[in-house]
Amino acid sequence: MSNTNERSNPSDFGSRTETFACVWCGLTVTARAPDGGRRNHCPSCLQSRHVHDHVAGGPSECQARMSPISIAVPRNGDWKIVHRCTRCDELTAHGVHGDDNQLILMRLAVRPLAQPPFPLEVFGNL
Amino acid sequence: MPRRNPRHPDRRTQRRKDVTHRADQRPGGAFRCAGCRLDVPLGAPGTAHRNHCPQCLISLHVDGRVPGDRAADCGGRMEALSLFARPDGEWMLIHHCLVCGELSANRIAGDDNPLALLRMAVRPLSDSRVPVRALLAL
Repeated sequence: MSNTNERSNPSDFGSRTETFACVWCGLTVTARAPDGGRRNHCPSCLQSRHVHDHVAGGPSECQARMSPISIAVPRNGDWKIVHRCTRCDELTAHGVHGDDNQLILMRLAVRPLAQPPFPLEVFGNL
Repeated sequence: MPRRNPRHPDRRTQRRKDVTHRADQRPGGAFRCAGCRLDVPLGAPGTAHRNHCPQCLISLHVDGRVPGDRAADCGGRMEALSLFARPDGEWMLIHHCLVCGELSANRIAGDDNPLALLRMAVRPLSDSRVPVRALLAL
């Protein structure tokens, strides 16, 4: 979440025209996603920014870039992106939005299957 | 587990573990899993610290940042949330604490159930709605 105003509550945002610049690719995106929620990561490169302290709550002073590492699927079936802070290794999970880059999302989802630690051919015989 | 493609030979080696499991706390050198009640031996092939049950991948929120430091006072059950591959090809599990919501990343062990791991890996693709929408958008 790379917001310009320092509000602690992520759902409390008023302006439809509020924007932020991505820390990685520099794209200027609106803070509000098309499905109405607040945007947490850049829709183009899916990079985020560590502005919220999830342990203590409130704003974080880290402010470093958070890179997407994994796709998590809760029981309701929606995808979540797990971000890891490049500076302090903090992990967060946030939902995907409709205009997120589908190519990077699929890359993240199939990445473990491309590098299996055991031969996957065995599972065909089970 | 041996690294299959050691592309980063200069990468930081594993942190030296100076906290050991005390055998007098747990007789027989085993513990019982909080999820599936399986008796799990403490030694795990490929890792110095067994972090999760090899059968159901459930962990307990006892450690802080360093594996084995027992710094967390939460004690809640942690379920495997997702799985990712490190740049060197090693799979890591992301555990999610059901009590406090904390996330942690842990290496898989050599005796983890491959079927459970593969179920985690294909979980994003198992529900066809999102992947189909993603592939159609490309």
